[in-house]
This record gives sequence, structure tokens and C-alpha cells, in this order.
Amino acid sequence: MIITRAPLRISFVGGGTDLPDFYRRYPGRVISTAIDKFVYLVINRTPLIPKISARYSISETVDRPDDLQHTRIKAALLDLEIEKGLEIGSFASLPAKTGLGSSSSFSVALMKGLHAYQGKKIDKKEAADAACRLEIELIKEPIGKQDQYAAAFGGFNVLQFNPDETVDVEPVLLDYKKRLALENHLLLFFTGVTRAASSVLTEQKSNIEKKIDTLKEMAESVFDFQGRLLSADFQGMGEMLHQGWLKKKSLASNVSNSVIDDLYNAGMNAGAWGGKVLGAGGGGCLMFLVPLEKKQAIREAVLRVVKENNLAEFREIPVKFVQTGVETLFGGNHYA
Amino acid sequence: MRDYIQQFSDKAIESLRNLPREEIAKAINIIQAAYERDGRIYVFGNGGSLAIATHWVGDFNKTVFDHHLDQHSRRFQAIRLPSTEAEITAWANDIGFEMVFVGPLRNYLQDSDVVIAISSSGNSPNVLRAVEFAKSQKVPVIGLSGFDGGKLKELADAKIHISTEKGDYFIVEGIHTVILHMIVKYFQNYFDHLAEKET
Repeated sequence: MIITRAPLRISFVGGGTDLPDFYRRYPGRVISTAIDKFVYLVINRTPLIPKISARYSISETVDRPDDLQHTRIKAALLDLEIEKGLEIGSFASLPAKTGLGSSSSFSVALMKGLHAYQGKKIDKKEAADAACRLEIELIKEPIGKQDQYAAAFGGFNVLQFNPDETVDVEPVLLDYKKRLALENHLLLFFTGVTRAASSVLTEQKSNIEKKIDTLKEMAESVFDFQGRLLSADFQGMGEMLHQGWLKKKSLASNVSNSVIDDLYNAGMNAGAWGGKVLGAGGGGCLMFLVPLEKKQAIREAVLRVVKENNLAEFREIPVKFVQTGVETLFGGNHYA
Repeated sequence: MRDYIQQFSDKAIESLRNLPREEIAKAINIIQAAYERDGRIYVFGNGGSLAIATHWVGDFNKTVFDHHLDQHSRRFQAIRLPSTEAEITAWANDIGFEMVFVGPLRNYLQDSDVVIAISSSGNSPNVLRAVEFAKSQKVPVIGLSGFDGGKLKELADAKIHISTEKGDYFIVEGIHTVILHMIVKYFQNYFDHLAEKET
């Protein structure tokens, strides 16, 4: 049996500049970090059962990959020419569609695991590229490349998406004091509202022409954010998030909606320095950077809006940053 | 005599001024990631470098957690290779000296582990054999080298290179020891901070 995992991520600034319509003209840039929530993949060889089983939110057992409903597993198996005799199960710390990049974490862990299944070890970059190929080329999701790289590499990074399709990964070398202090200044909420990234991104993609200047500014502002992060200027980071969120909202009409706006405004009115919706927007998670003395008041203000709107699945998500990226936890050796 | 002492310490100070800070930070991140996934840290080198490796393992497995020994259920798993004299002599005598590190490493190495290789020249064949094996397994390598860095500087993911004249083992090994102690102290402060936050 092989067990792999990849972390989810929080992206701070630059989302949207990782789409090809932008980065083929100007280098795109995103600053993000991996967090201590993971997608786990288990792959098991079943030599006596010539079937394929996939177990996730549902369970399917089929004779050949073509019959699978799970698009990513199906495309990966077809591409790697794995025909039958295995079980694949996935487990995650958080539900899907939270805006924390979990579908790409899944793909990265899946590609790492399936290569190990074939007796091939791949490094972080190869795992990120394999997941990008799976999601963007094979399944044709209208998504960018930031999530695959964030999940594969782990830690804080500035990711740069170059016109020639290469991606540069520059780690942001933070000491533990700044890392733990930032964790303390950060509030993360799952709104309970979910959406597929692709619906928002499709509109965003079609608007790229009009928004190119905004995206250029966002890609540039990544360096500014990195500087503030390195000097532990959390207030400045919060203010940049706020500006970034306003810009992002201008990119597609469905990036936000009234409930999300109400939640966000409640946090800001209660004293948050800034924040954003995580993921492509329209739902998912809401993040704030906050002064410590206002943390509790901000929680309470947000919870009042939650009650008014009956958001039954709303939760605060305690979060720590992790350095680890995609990895094989078990069974990496001697498997093929 | 005073001139000699002055000259030697000037060289050491010069090396300390020019520490590869980014690469040391990368090494710390590599170790942090291994800790998060319960990975092991294998460390090795020849002669003085083996002594440095041994010293570091003691500090890392125990001294880092000294102030709150009961509070950290997860600790580092640093292992000096080979871990027994029997293995050193068995591999060296029976197969060849180039096998003394890669031989034992093959027995142990898992995907979640990391490797710290110490070689002043950066060109010790037995160190490079083990580093090349780790690279083939996609395991991150922290390389501490001196002189011109040698092949180890090329291969390592974190390239902790102390640039000196060829043959200046004294400065290189001294600075390597300082850097490894710096890493020990960083993690001791980190775990102290975590423990004190909890209580």
C-alpha cells in the first residue's frame, strides 16, 4: 500500500495571474503558504481483483478506467496506462470546495502516489507539473497553476508563472517567530457556502482583456507583500489584502455575493486590518488579518452575520503553517 | 605567536561574516519539513566531519528539547551513519571504503527522510555516493562543504559552502560546527517558545 499526502494552501496576493491568458503575456505571480490541513491518498494493489475501485465521497468499482465517474482519477489512470487491479481512496481534513486549493492538493498527491505505484519516484516539481498537466491539459479545467505548486512545495513561496510555461518557486524564508506571530494574527472561517472554482474562473478568463492592467498590478504587488511579510508588518499585509480583494471583486461579477460581502464587512467594521475570500470566490473561506486585541470582537461580529443568514456549515478553522509539501508517507520503496 | 593567533581568527571572522545565510535558512526549512512528517535525518562525513556529525546528533535528539523534555511527544530522529563501528569496518573491509555511507543509507532511507552530508572538499567519493543515492530517491540533501565546494555544492539542495583556500580544514570544520550549533539553537528556541506558549 502507498500513502501520499499534500497540504492545502492559503494564497495571499496575485490569484488570477496564474491563468495562461495573463502569464503568456506578462509573468504572473502569487504569494501563498501551505497549511496543516491535508489531502491523503491511499493506493492499494489488488492482484486478485481485476477491477478499479475509487473511494471518495462515493464509492465506485468499475472494470476499466473509462467507466469511472471521478474525472481526475479516470484521466490520470488513462494517461499513465494503468488498467486495473487497484483501489484508490482519498481522505481529507476539510470538505471540498473550501477555496483552499484542495482539488489540486488531491491531484498532486494522486500523481505522486500513482508514479510510486509504477515504481517511479518524482520530486516536488515533477509532482506539480504532473498535476498541472492532469488538470489543465487532460481535463481542461479553466484553472491556473498556483495551487499545484503550492501543494507540491509546501511552506511560504513566491510563485512566478513565466510566458514559456516554466514556474519559478522562490521560498520566503521566515523564522519561527514571524511564522507563529502571523498564525496568531490570522482568522480563517469556512463560510459554509461552496462553489466550484471553474464557474467563477470561466467568467474571469473571458474578462482578461479588460482586466489586464489590474492583473499586472496584482502580480507586481506580490513583491511588496513579500517585503511586509519578511518584516512582520501584519497590518500592512492586511491593508494590502483589502486592496487586493477589492481588485479581485472587479474581475468577475460572481467573485462575491451579498452574504460574503456582509461577512467581510462585519469583520472589517469590527477592526480587521484586511482580508479576502480564499479561492476563486463566490464562497469558500474568508480570511482576516487582525490586531490581537480585536480578534474576539471580530469573531463575534462575523458570527452575528452567520446567525442572520443561517449558515449552518460555517466554522472557524484553526490553522498553522507547514513547511512540508507533497510526500509519500508509506510504501514509497520496493513497491513496483 | 600573537600574530599567528590574530591571522587565524581573522580568517575565521571573515568566514563567519560571509556565511551563506539563505542556504542555512533553506536547510532549517528542510529540517522543519522532515519534522512535520516524522521523517528521519541521516548525517555523515569522514574524520573530523564524522565527529561533527556525531556531536550534532546528540545535540539534535536531546539538547534541542532539553528545557521541556516531557512536553514534546514528537522529537527529532537524527541518526549518524554508519550507526555502528561494525558497519563501518564491514563495508570498508569487505566491499570498499566508498560504500561506508551509502551501504547503511540504503538500508534505512525512506521518502520522508532528509540527508546532511559533510565534506570539506565537497569531493569525498564515499560522501558523494550516498548523496547521489539520496538524490535518486528524491530525498532533500543539505550539503556542508568548504574549499571550492566541490561536487557536493552542485548536488545539494541547501548548499552550505564555506569558501576557503584548498586544504583549510581547520577553518572549514570550525565554521561547520558553528553552523550546526546555530541550527540546534534555532530549534531549541522554537520548541521552548512552543512549550511556553502551551503552559
